[in-house]
Amino acid sequence: MQGRTWVLRSAAIAGAAALGLSIAACGSSSSSSSSAQATSGTFTVLVYGDSNNKVEQAIVDQFNKTSTVKAKLETIPGADYQQKLQTIISTKQAPDVFFNWGGGSIQQYAKAGLLLPLNDMVKANPKLKSAFLPSVYNTAVIDGNDYGIPMRGTQPVLLFNNQNVLKQAGIAGAPKTWNDLLNDVKVLKAKGITPIALGGGDQWPTQMWFEYLYDRVAGPGLFEKALSGDSSVWNSAASQKALSMLKQLIDAGAFGSNFDSVKATDNGSAKLLTTGKAAFELMGSWDYSTVQGIDANFAKNDLGYSAFPSIPGGAGNAGDLVGNTNNFYSVLKTTKYKDAISKFLTLMYSDTFVKDQLSIGNLPTTTNTPNFLGQAASPAYDKFQYDLVKAAPSFQLSWDQAYPPSASNAIHTAVAQFFDGQIDAKGFISAMQSLPSAN
Amino acid sequence: MTATLTQSGPAQEATTSPRRPRRRSSGDRVGRPGVIWAAPAAIFFGLFALVPLVLVAVLSFTSWSGLGSPQWAGMANWTKLFHDPVMLKSLWLSVLLTLLGVVIQTPLSVLLGVWAAGYQKNRAVLSAIYFVPLLLSGTAISVLWRALLDPNFGLPSQLTWLFGNGNLFGHQATAIGVLVWVAAWQYTPLHTLIYQGAARSVPHVLYQAASIDGAGTIRQFWHITLPQLRNAMITSVILMVVGGLTTFDTVLILTQGGPGTDTTISAYYMYKQAFQGFDFGTGAAIGLLLVVVATIISLIVVRVSRYDEMRSVNEGI
Repeated sequence: MQGRTWVLRSAAIAGAAALGLSIAACGSSSSSSSSAQATSGTFTVLVYGDSNNKVEQAIVDQFNKTSTVKAKLETIPGADYQQKLQTIISTKQAPDVFFNWGGGSIQQYAKAGLLLPLNDMVKANPKLKSAFLPSVYNTAVIDGNDYGIPMRGTQPVLLFNNQNVLKQAGIAGAPKTWNDLLNDVKVLKAKGITPIALGGGDQWPTQMWFEYLYDRVAGPGLFEKALSGDSSVWNSAASQKALSMLKQLIDAGAFGSNFDSVKATDNGSAKLLTTGKAAFELMGSWDYSTVQGIDANFAKNDLGYSAFPSIPGGAGNAGDLVGNTNNFYSVLKTTKYKDAISKFLTLMYSDTFVKDQLSIGNLPTTTNTPNFLGQAASPAYDKFQYDLVKAAPSFQLSWDQAYPPSASNAIHTAVAQFFDGQIDAKGFISAMQSLPSAN
Repeated sequence: MTATLTQSGPAQEATTSPRRPRRRSSGDRVGRPGVIWAAPAAIFFGLFALVPLVLVAVLSFTSWSGLGSPQWAGMANWTKLFHDPVMLKSLWLSVLLTLLGVVIQTPLSVLLGVWAAGYQKNRAVLSAIYFVPLLLSGTAISVLWRALLDPNFGLPSQLTWLFGNGNLFGHQATAIGVLVWVAAWQYTPLHTLIYQGAARSVPHVLYQAASIDGAGTIRQFWHITLPQLRNAMITSVILMVVGGLTTFDTVLILTQGGPGTDTTISAYYMYKQAFQGFDFGTGAAIGLLLVVVATIISLIVVRVSRYDEMRSVNEGI
């Protein structure tokens, strides 16, 4: 009996303690929420957390100096961004403004009616659209509605090279055509150098080769058609030709034999380039700063870069680009601060914004960017990129970002298996045909 | 697992029925533990294991991308899974990795544990060094090995006679080899610790009696140490099986399920479906399937090892 009363008593004490704690918790939470309501209003801006955040914070601070409605920057650390965003976007914790990649990354939110079309804002202030390069701005246009304002730098995929290695192998410069590239591969291989560094372990670097081959051979229209649900284009003659050319490059030993064990995310492929073990790397424009981090002198003196070679006879324009056009701010329909946000978004083409972005190595895609290119960290490189993006007839968003997120696994697996030889052209085509469509 | 253990209670009492009355009388005097004693654990288990499990089961019959509310999808996720070659392959890979883990780690940790239980010179220092992997997080270990095994700048570039072109992550066999190796490096110390503790508790009189009878070190190991370690071994194997089936971080960092889908084990496939493909319904179905398979395997281990009628190894001493 004694034992039992002891148990009951301790249970009662524990229960009371728990209650007390929860009451205390209630008290503190209610007081904090009431204090939040006391201010005239704050909207949250959710951003992918990385080293770029200092510029975003500076812009928010600048906005708050003059505005009565305040902006508040929140960040989600890198790799988890898309997952966390998706889990909060339809809840009360959803932000008012959020960072995204345009295209497939916001398509389902737009379809679910969560996003505010920015058409009215643009009508009231046309500069919100005209101040940006169209090939970039259009990435966040869905079904004719504007859903995003570019807010970082553009990241086209470029063909980087090690100028020293090319010189030693007697190669005059970056390849201009596909045949040049095939020749270079032959020459480099004979010298015992891996012609092209590829971070196949990450899979998405492999995808870049498909993006460019399909663009050059079949033109940007093929992928657009596939994306809008016409999966038969994957089986077209142009698609088969692109795959057979890619196969030819792989079989020529262009990527060496161990690319599956190399990663881009741990700088494995960039190091191959800087150490001269490989001559080329196809990578997003951020590779410049990656290389700079490994060997600053190399980046300054020996790193070469060029657009992807042209393919004579192909339907695609040699000026076409693929990659991440930019990142965007989109606005949720539920926000109470539309007017303040439209003012906030005008800062994305301000002079301060452009200067700040350039100072950290990003290349903004506003029309006033050229005025400040002289102040960039690496002016020649930025000018090269800016001119490419400005002149590009088409700037295709990366496949895995253009398709809805549910397709990215299948795309990554298919490109990796094609490079491995685990599947052939037929297998690749059927894998792409069974992707969930964007519509 | 826990369900099995509680179920096995009556079975155990039945087999030892002759002793039952005596135990009960002694129990009454001390004050038998009431239901309330189990409450904290039961509530905790219910809240953090059973409730989520039921929710996952419900979720597996829905289609949900994380937006809006889940839509009822009936058996769609399940029929899709059973026709999905990657799913079936991933189950097989999970089981294979677990089996290889048990087969490789058990002998290693038994030997190391028995050695570490001794009183040799240097033993304390060497064991302390040996337990270092236990202090590192799984993520840190995977990142470390990924860097060590880089084909161009890691060990393989120096030891070409052993690694060839260093394409360890480019073939299924070698990629699995790396996963098994890293898991062994990471977890053998834990199991060594279990065996060390168990070996320490083997009564000394047994060895004294055996050496009087003329048994050498090896015979003593086979006929005294190993049988005495039986319960520890079952514990250790069950930990390995559960740990092996739920391995995730090493795959995520080392191979990302590649080459192709050749090391995509079920737990990783679940993550990819749910959190990269935003198909939470399918992810939940894979998770539930993994629970079912893990339960079946655990049941088999329990049955085969007679865990449910485990008795003291010191009986009669």
